[in-house]
Amino acid sequence: MDAALKAIAEPRRREILRLVWSEELPATEIALRVGQVSRPAISQHLAVLRGARLVVERRDGTRRLYRADHGEMARLRAFLDGFWTDGLERLRLAAEAEQRALDDRNRDDRSDTHG
Amino acid sequence: MAELVREVFIEAAPEVVFQYLVDPERYVAWGASEAVLDPRPGGTYRALMGGSHWGEGEFLEIEPDRRVVFSFGWAEPGHPIPPGSTTVEIALEADGVGTTVRLTHRGLPEDAVGDHTGGWDHYLARLALAARGEDPGPDLMP
Repeated sequence: MDAALKAIAEPRRREILRLVWSEELPATEIALRVGQVSRPAISQHLAVLRGARLVVERRDGTRRLYRADHGEMARLRAFLDGFWTDGLERLRLAAEAEQRALDDRNRDDRSDTHG
Repeated sequence: MAELVREVFIEAAPEVVFQYLVDPERYVAWGASEAVLDPRPGGTYRALMGGSHWGEGEFLEIEPDRRVVFSFGWAEPGHPIPPGSTTVEIALEADGVGTTVRLTHRGLPEDAVGDHTGGWDHYLARLALAARGEDPGPDLMP
């Protein structure tokens, strides 16, 4: 995961990731759209993104096409699943503890009144 | 766009549970390690999740003791779920001796839901961590 964090620390790599998120593009097209960056630099950025498994490469004849690895999205879904499931369990425990404390206090108040 | 639904029954009154959705001091007991909440339509929602990732959005609907809706995403630049891009609805229904809480996370990219298998091993590993009381949070962001 360190590799992924390092990969997205560079703003141009984040821009590349956005470009290839929903469409598959060749490096030439990516270089055109990013602008101000040489082709070799784009190739280096793509290599870093591939190394971090954020981008996958596909060969189509002589062309190489790049797109974001949506397997990351599956992992994100898994994260949310786990996060909300664990979170709601913590919510249950906390709210039930507070409810019991309230009930105890109410009972004490009543016994004060009647006692 | 896809959605994720989670439900839990809580033996506490809706008005008790509701405070855990809108009061930052109570919110951190379950949904974040830090929280900035301004619970009114258009108000800020910020929650530090997994120790290092800020979930951000704004409150859209507030019905006291019944329902909270906020927009949601991650603050990291380039994150596929940017702030405000999805919505989370938490609905409370009084149910006998307690409250049924239904959380619906809407607007997630299809890929996040469609291909579950890629994340399964990872998910199990995270469950194991959570079960040991460790925080499996920051590992997963693209």
